[in-house]
Amino acid sequence: MTGREAAARRRALVCVAPTVLALGALTVYPGIWVLWLSLQQRIPIFDVSRFAGFENYGFLAVDPRFWSAARTTAVFTVGSVALEVILGVAAALAIHAQQRGRRVALSLLLLAWAMPAVVGAKLFEWLYHPAAGLVNVALGRHSINWLGDPGAALPAVIIADVWRTMPFVAILCYARLLAIPADVYEAAQVDGAGRLATLTRITLPLLGRILLLAVLFRTLDALRAFDIMFVLTGGGPAGTTETLTVYAYRALFQTLQLGFGSAVSVVVFALVMAVAWAYLRLLRAGTVAA
Amino acid sequence: MTVGRRRAACALALTAWLLALGGCAGGRESGPVTLVFKYARILGNADPLPGLLREFEASHPGVRVKGEAMPWASDDQHQFYVINLEGRSPGFDVMMLDCIWVPEFARAGWLLDLTSRLQPDELAPYFPSAVASATYGGRVWALPWNFNVGLLYYRADLLARYGLRPPETYEELIEQVRRIRAGERDPALDGYVWQGKQYEGLVVNVLEAFWANGARLLGDDGTVFPEPARAADALRFLRGLIAAGVSPAWTTAADEELSRRAFGDGHAIFLRNWPYAMDLFQGQGSAVRGRVAFAPLPGRARGEPGVGSTGGAHLGVSSRSRHPDLALALVRHLTSERAQRAIALGAALSPTRQALYRDPDVVRDRPGMPRLQALALAGRPRPATPYYLLLSATVQPEFSAALVGVKPPERAIVDAGARLAYFLRAVR
Repeated sequence: MTGREAAARRRALVCVAPTVLALGALTVYPGIWVLWLSLQQRIPIFDVSRFAGFENYGFLAVDPRFWSAARTTAVFTVGSVALEVILGVAAALAIHAQQRGRRVALSLLLLAWAMPAVVGAKLFEWLYHPAAGLVNVALGRHSINWLGDPGAALPAVIIADVWRTMPFVAILCYARLLAIPADVYEAAQVDGAGRLATLTRITLPLLGRILLLAVLFRTLDALRAFDIMFVLTGGGPAGTTETLTVYAYRALFQTLQLGFGSAVSVVVFALVMAVAWAYLRLLRAGTVAA
Repeated sequence: MTVGRRRAACALALTAWLLALGGCAGGRESGPVTLVFKYARILGNADPLPGLLREFEASHPGVRVKGEAMPWASDDQHQFYVINLEGRSPGFDVMMLDCIWVPEFARAGWLLDLTSRLQPDELAPYFPSAVASATYGGRVWALPWNFNVGLLYYRADLLARYGLRPPETYEELIEQVRRIRAGERDPALDGYVWQGKQYEGLVVNVLEAFWANGARLLGDDGTVFPEPARAADALRFLRGLIAAGVSPAWTTAADEELSRRAFGDGHAIFLRNWPYAMDLFQGQGSAVRGRVAFAPLPGRARGEPGVGSTGGAHLGVSSRSRHPDLALALVRHLTSERAQRAIALGAALSPTRQALYRDPDVVRDRPGMPRLQALALAGRPRPATPYYLLLSATVQPEFSAALVGVKPPERAIVDAGARLAYFLRAVR
């Protein structure tokens, strides 16, 4: 290593140091603290504080409420992300094909995305109202017990979430569509490609990377979903809409079981990290192939 | 400006600074004092609270009271308190408390023990059960502010049309619902609406069903579900109300307001709710104005007579308040007979002082008050334990599962009991 290289390396370290320190203080330290808490039985207001090893995790392993929350989180994530991608791409294509009123359409989409989750949830609470809600009035009075039926509550929550976050996918895709040069389509037309072939052979593959990114963001958000079900159902009925984050919240903030609640949080964290890692690998593989 | 004047100004500033410092260090009641009062906004046609706070300021010169509103939901308020009090940075002196938190907060050392500061008979005018829920470990931690008890509202006009008296048992209620609905032939008319959403209100409704069936959530010796068979039977009965269509299917998503509106729009014959609903039913523009009455909650045939769960709010003083005497004075002012009369007249909350239930002004405005007093006296509190929230949060999904029919009631009771045993072992 030459002297110049060493100097450059030192300068690089100095430049990176603030970020590393900030990340360390804001992420790594609290993360390790939560990990440490999860190995304890700690309920401060009752003066309970003792090392418990893996007791909390042992209880979680056989805890039906935890597994139900894990299942709910999985169904919610897969369901809402899949719907968001399908509807988001469809909306982006529709706006792209539209000749007039693009701006209005985009603003309307953004409106839903810009609305705070709690406000959106309150809105849907009224839409799902058993007697006066718009949805049931449209379907005929008392047709579906949206938030009180264990089979309907999770789909109802997913629909509300899709309505709010689909625009995110749509706008990302729309931006990518604008960047596809027109001559690509012209060439396809010359080669005699039909509309379906153009869509599946050109548009969708070109959307691929941005879609993967959108799916990554949305999946990580959906895995940590909290506000929408907390407001709409409080996790009910029968715990069918209780996600892992809602479960962690109940343990941490409602009953102040800091150790047990931290154990649930650690599981959520591990889950999010694993999914992020898998997606990043996919993204990297895509880069190499492209 | 001359040197002398500048010096004088400096000296004056220094003196003022020292005085201020003295005020911070030890002096009470000397400098300007700000008391912070945390409360939840009161629903009603006229909020009497700002006026009451200004009154206190007028009678305590140099004291400013800052009322800070909290979220409306009890669970959110609880979270606010535990985070702020556990973090040892409370920015408040007087706190409004849901009566179920008193044992927990007292045990955690967050409340000032008021026992030795109270006059010997200061608690006599209050409902005994309200005083009981402000007491923990033989000490008094708060003064009762407003009072709640579960009631059975009924459509007096409909019952009269069929020559019926308010039902004393649930079995009678079911029969009355059948008769009235058969006669009215109105598909939009529901029978009995109550609170079955997975939240604290569900626990209250289930407890009332337990008590009517001779079951408890917590025994005197601390065992959970000491009468498991009776508890399961009560859950099965509630599920039966929904399955048989006596209660609408959406009961499993209903909170106080959802059920109150359905009844208030004239779409139900019976409703279980708190006293606040009466004022709204009798208000201008209500669809059921003059057609509603209330009765005690029904019991069960061959079971216990019905009894409503009590609830309500207390006012306590933070143990870290720097002005405990002033804070207690504010608590006394707000819980005084005058203040409670103003609240009873201006808002839809019921007083904790028994004299007000026979007070001519209040009774003229709310004619049901004397009867409400009798029902309030008969009411029964939820289990008084520092672990109440743990208890409630644990049983909520199990009760809900039994109500929506995805779990047999016996199974729900066994599962809830096992979870509670595990968590309680850790704290006891």
